Amino acid sequence: MAYPYVSDHEVRILSKHFGDPMQRRVDTYVERGGYGALKKAFEMGPEKIIDEVKASGLRGRGGAGFPTGVKWSFMPKGTGKPHYLLCNADESEPGTFKDRELMRWDPHQLIEGCLIGAYAIGAQHVYIYCRGEFFETNQVLARAVEDAYARGYIGKDIMGSGVDLDLTVHQGAGAYICGEETGLMNSLEGRRGQPRVKPPFPAAVGAFGMPSTINNVETLCTVPHIVANGGAWYRQWGTEKSPGTKLFCVSGHVNRPGNYELPLGFPLQKLIDDVCGGMRGGNALKAVIPGGSSVPIINAEEVSRCTLDYEGCVAVGTMLGCASVIVMDETTDVVKQVRRMVDFYAHESCGQCTPCREGSAWTARILRRIEEGRGTEEDLDTLMDTTQQMVGTTICVLSDSVAAPVQSSINKFRDEYLALIRRGERVGAA
Amino acid sequence: MSETPFRNPGWAGNTGEFDLTEEQVRGEDFVGDRPAHGGHASGAGAMPYMLAEKNPDVALFEGEYQERFEKILTRYPTKQAALLPALGLAQEIRGYVSPDSMDRVAELLDLSPAYVRGVATFYTMYNKRPVGRHLVQVCTNISCNLNGADEVVEAFLRYTDTELGETSEDGHFTVIEAECLAACGFPTCVQINSRYFENVTPDQVPQICERLKSEGK
Ligand SMILES: Cc1cc2nc3c(=O)[nH]c(=O)nc-3n(C[C@H](O)[C@H](O)[C@H](O)COP(=O)(O)O)c2cc1C
Ligand code: SF4
Ligand code: FES
Repeated sequence: MAYPYVSDHEVRILSKHFGDPMQRRVDTYVERGGYGALKKAFEMGPEKIIDEVKASGLRGRGGAGFPTGVKWSFMPKGTGKPHYLLCNADESEPGTFKDRELMRWDPHQLIEGCLIGAYAIGAQHVYIYCRGEFFETNQVLARAVEDAYARGYIGKDIMGSGVDLDLTVHQGAGAYICGEETGLMNSLEGRRGQPRVKPPFPAAVGAFGMPSTINNVETLCTVPHIVANGGAWYRQWGTEKSPGTKLFCVSGHVNRPGNYELPLGFPLQKLIDDVCGGMRGGNALKAVIPGGSSVPIINAEEVSRCTLDYEGCVAVGTMLGCASVIVMDETTDVVKQVRRMVDFYAHESCGQCTPCREGSAWTARILRRIEEGRGTEEDLDTLMDTTQQMVGTTICVLSDSVAAPVQSSINKFRDEYLALIRRGERVGAA
Repeated sequence: MSETPFRNPGWAGNTGEFDLTEEQVRGEDFVGDRPAHGGHASGAGAMPYMLAEKNPDVALFEGEYQERFEKILTRYPTKQAALLPALGLAQEIRGYVSPDSMDRVAELLDLSPAYVRGVATFYTMYNKRPVGRHLVQVCTNISCNLNGADEVVEAFLRYTDTELGETSEDGHFTVIEAECLAACGFPTCVQINSRYFENVTPDQVPQICERLKSEGK
């Protein structure tokens, strides 16, 4: 049987070998064409690689969707300083589970992408900052790195190109905020993983004070395919502004949750109905969070209009984020789930900024009060007001992430809050 | 509403193990008399540090561990960057990061003990006090919660007869809630020491616990 589930709608580029443990073996990877793109990259030279990645329109898969080629071109040249490429493998946004799968099923794909990226930006050393909880993934990755060193794909004079590159797997120690790019840099340097004030931006002053670029696992996994096949090839999927394919992590109340690689612009309703086999037990759809817990929640009507590309999500008032589609059916207690998400942010706030540290804790407390039937209608105004003060006032956007679920759920599911406040029947008990 | 939490029937369950041996997967060249912690220094910091057998009094960084510690140092441009991996190593050896361990790490890396404490307390994976032989971390974040994670927590607490964060009387289990473990499509996800258990339902809890106990670790 294939990887948990596959669908005919999928275009499996990154996820082609999911479910096949042999893909971890360096020799199998090479037999299947692996490290061919790296060889080609050395022939192309850094500038052409960056041009090709720009031409593909690849946008960062870590959440913000910033064009990868453009980001790479920010790196200074001829500084004489060491440069670093950091791979963000700290995957911890609730609802997201793609990077772990990419690393444990196909570690060499990521290594190849890292090496190409490092060569393109003039870095000598790559650090893969892998989430600490991923013991198995860390081991798979560490072993793959070791094998690649042994075969001469990492190290000195790679494949006779004269290029030297090093790569280290760095295991995190448990903190969501280390996924934020400058938090990750601080953590790598042996500090608390607290985000830094920007500017200076990482391309100027990054890890160890040196020019650095940071990319998500999925972004870097896509790079070898673009280098091998060209930017135009990649544009045959997706939309004009959001080209290519993307892994969608679907969780919650669908019949077949899992990772599906689909062209960007795929209709959300079709993802739920056709790809994921519909709602469990034939229940009605209540709400969806399409991009991980940090983006606004949408209701069933908005779901029917939403296409899964960066612009399509914005059009219905939400964001694609890291494409973590959390599906909730009619039995869902929205207030409880929002409270659970806010608890998460309150726990993970690094504590540097007052609006975030105090705001997230108070928001969680008020939500719990409402959930327990001790809330008032004014609490809803307080929640809107408090979370509004958390937007755009802090060092990083974790604070804004609290506002997204709270404000959108109060706007769209006010009745459920009111029902609890008026000590009515609790809606569902999921 | 639904009494039995929803399950994803297409997944193998415990994905911490594969059916193939390491030899089959990696090829014969790469399996042999390698040290348990792997060969190349690039992976030195990436080994599990929540081992079942823990000895809080054993010396830090001697022999094999000394080698690993030195390998870690070679991978970073600064000594300070070795702090997280070094604390991880200390926890692997002693089972938790005691004040004494932190002082020793500070000394080795030319940092102040207060600084090391400040960093160690920022991260959730460093146990600041001893835990049971099996640290059970149940994800109760949104995707797992939608599929009945709260009941899984309860089932663990009932079976082990403890309270959240406490260690069971036989020293086997410490049960805590965890944030999203990045396995949301396979709820409920439970991390026990370094292993992931996916699609866990409350009725499987006794079986899982029995198995862990019988493994004798
Ligand atoms: C609080 C917070 C957490 C984040 N967590 C992650 C993460 O776990 N993984 C990730 O790739 N990006 C994460 N990001 C986004 C990164 O800061 C960064 O934008 C991304 O790694 C850039 O890579 P990309 O250009 O390839 O998308 C997070 C951002 C914030 C503000
Ligand atoms: S917004 Fe929150 S998490 Fe981000 S730097 Fe400020 S306190 Fe830390
Ligand atoms: S919500 Fe439980 S693993 Fe992500």
